[in-house]
Amino acid sequence: MFYHAGLVLAVMAVGFAAGILLRMGTELSILIAALAGALAHGAGVPVRHIVEGTFTYFDVVLIFITATYFMNLLKESGGVSYIVRGIIRRFHRSRFMLLLLLTIVMLVPGALTGSGTVTVLVVGSFVATVLQYLGISADRIAAIVFLGAAMSAAAPPINLWAMMAAAGSNMPYVGFTLPLAVISILGALFSVFYLGWGGTQRNIDLDKAMKELPEPPKGTSWLHVAVPFAIFFGIVLGGRLWPYDMPVVGLPLAFTLSALTVIVMSPTRLPAMKILSRTVDDLLPLVGTVTVVGVLVQIMALSGARGLISLSVVILPLTVLFAVLWAVLPISEGIFQYASAPLLGVPLVFLFNMKGINPIIALSGMATIWPLGDCLPPTAPVGRAAVMTAGFKGDYKQFLVRLIVPALFILALGTLYIIFASELGFLVWG
Amino acid sequence: MAQPKRSQLTIRLVVVALWLALVIPGGIQLAAHRNYKETIVLGPGVTEVRKLSDWAPYIEGTTNDCNIYVLDSGVPGGTMLVIGGTHPEEPAGVLSAVTIVENVVPKVGKILVAVRANKSASTVTRPGDAYPQFYTIPTDFGDRKFRMGDRWSNPLDSWPDPEVYVHYPSGQMLAYMDVRNLNRTWPGRPDGMLTERTTRAFIDLINAENVDIFIDNHEAELEYSVISTIVAHQDAADIAAMASMMLSAMEFPMGMEYSPLLLHGLSHREVGDHTDALALEIEVPEPFLDRVRGITDEALLLEGKDEFVMRAGKAGLLYEKIDENGWHIDERVGRTNSTIKMIVEMYNEFYPDRQIQFEGLPTRDEVVAYGVGRYLLNPAQVGANRVVQD
Repeated sequence: MFYHAGLVLAVMAVGFAAGILLRMGTELSILIAALAGALAHGAGVPVRHIVEGTFTYFDVVLIFITATYFMNLLKESGGVSYIVRGIIRRFHRSRFMLLLLLTIVMLVPGALTGSGTVTVLVVGSFVATVLQYLGISADRIAAIVFLGAAMSAAAPPINLWAMMAAAGSNMPYVGFTLPLAVISILGALFSVFYLGWGGTQRNIDLDKAMKELPEPPKGTSWLHVAVPFAIFFGIVLGGRLWPYDMPVVGLPLAFTLSALTVIVMSPTRLPAMKILSRTVDDLLPLVGTVTVVGVLVQIMALSGARGLISLSVVILPLTVLFAVLWAVLPISEGIFQYASAPLLGVPLVFLFNMKGINPIIALSGMATIWPLGDCLPPTAPVGRAAVMTAGFKGDYKQFLVRLIVPALFILALGTLYIIFASELGFLVWG
Repeated sequence: MAQPKRSQLTIRLVVVALWLALVIPGGIQLAAHRNYKETIVLGPGVTEVRKLSDWAPYIEGTTNDCNIYVLDSGVPGGTMLVIGGTHPEEPAGVLSAVTIVENVVPKVGKILVAVRANKSASTVTRPGDAYPQFYTIPTDFGDRKFRMGDRWSNPLDSWPDPEVYVHYPSGQMLAYMDVRNLNRTWPGRPDGMLTERTTRAFIDLINAENVDIFIDNHEAELEYSVISTIVAHQDAADIAAMASMMLSAMEFPMGMEYSPLLLHGLSHREVGDHTDALALEIEVPEPFLDRVRGITDEALLLEGKDEFVMRAGKAGLLYEKIDENGWHIDERVGRTNSTIKMIVEMYNEFYPDRQIQFEGLPTRDEVVAYGVGRYLLNPAQVGANRVVQD
């Protein structure tokens, strides 16, 4: 069985590499890997497994789309520019406050959607503009946008890596809020201040900034921004405070209701269908990846390849694991995207449980390290998006070099979470 | 410009055709599994087949309005309820319940059996885990086919899940998907989600029938610490301890654990707390459920042999032994049945005024010697009125 599963894994790796070499994109390459693995296993084209596998992360996909639609509507209605202009008007003399508030602005979209790409798409250009006013170089801006996006994806309530690994190991996705919040906020603050504290301008020229930043429609107020968020958090909190009286809405519908609120409250008429269509267009690569990852995971389970990976990980000595996870996790993310969570996360959760290591803290650490891999080839979706948004025209390696110090800080935090998971157990909450 | 447009259209048509070629046959297989009717032959002891909704009208018309098989001796005594299929991915629990329905003859008291306690969960397999959809048990008259299922109710019957599942009535927060887990929703509520309504219906049944012993059949992965054991509510602890001792001394090692006081939603905790029944759960080993398992197929499900799980055992990562003989379905069903029999014997010692006595339940040695198929009846050899579908 070891030989068989190893052979299937090798065939999958070759299939994936062939897809990448033929420039078929990550999603199709993963699908090719899955189909090649099924053939190597002797299962032919297992249509039931393929169809069933596409539903593995169905709920995650729905949350992804509805949350991004909500954020895109907020941007189109002028809500995001209203917030950014408000921040600049109030704090243009304080670099500290500006960087602090930009960090918060970057954390929100990814925290709600679990996607760093959404952060880059929704607030990346605004943040980049403000950072330009502060005289920060384009490579640093790209690095700030990427790291802000990565930490927003790691931030609670939605961390897709933790959710997928927890779901795969029958562990409740409960208790992650505080551990994830602490590590992702620390990571984001360090990254933004380390890279953004320098720069040629100490303060912002308010008149220039107000002239150049897009103006929200007349009549926009804090209410237009606050009410849709209040609806969302009201539904979530209501479900916890009055669980037996509130109808079960589910996160996709909660985001949809918030999105409808944006449409209804917008001072101008929003092209809702056009925005929805564009949202789905923008998300197709990510939704496609998550969907085919489900197929890949199913074929790996069918053929024993998943078991071989799981077994290889859990029989490693803990000291070796601690020493290599900080490198293995981002690299696996760069190759497999979200598939790395069920592939490596699930067996590790079992191992941590068995060794008496707090799995919530350890998984929180891992789920903060994983998003850093989104700047690594061959996929690098968030890194490339951040570079484009920041208008950085230089070598991609230069952008990667800029990331080294803050990334090492975050990797160190994540590794400390894993090593001292039990001692940090007091953080488990929410 | 016309040429690129035409080629784009061709590509799109090819993609749609490929998509349909996958989705239609794949979907047909999924639908066939969901709608497959499982045959149950009524054994000589079955006096009546009722529906769960007979005790709980609010479950009527739902997928989980399962059959309740009544084996009434007509002689006054105690009442036992055995449920299989709480987690349909644990087939020994289901097959043990089937062997009761098809073989047991009650002599004193009454036995109630649910083969598919969470029928909805038996109509879906878990995406990403590549479960087989069915398993077949060989018999002298051919194969008997059963639905493989999942741990959670089918999302087609219960969706969406809440953002977090708040257990009723304790208020304990659990994973969102566990609102579809029949062993996390006890004691349930009549206006809750489907799985909560199902457990509430069983509570109503237990109260209405004055059930004395409640047994919930399970299997567990070898990586999980609660395995080869009887988990007992504190009121049933004496019976469980005695049964564990007797089984371990005479037949096979079987542990005993107390139901955790503060972990809510589990049958052994809530049935014990919310009814007068003595609540117990049986856990036997199932290597198929281990994450480190190798090839996922029907052979692993039934034979329980896996090199990867064995390797994990050598690394000291398991809570139960495994060797090249694996954990065959006959061993698992047999152990479940022997444990049920021993629990009842111990119960009779403790509660002589409400005896439960029966004959015909195949125990571990018999099932291992002859195979569980020997204890499944041939539907063709009984009248049509003695065959039902579940």
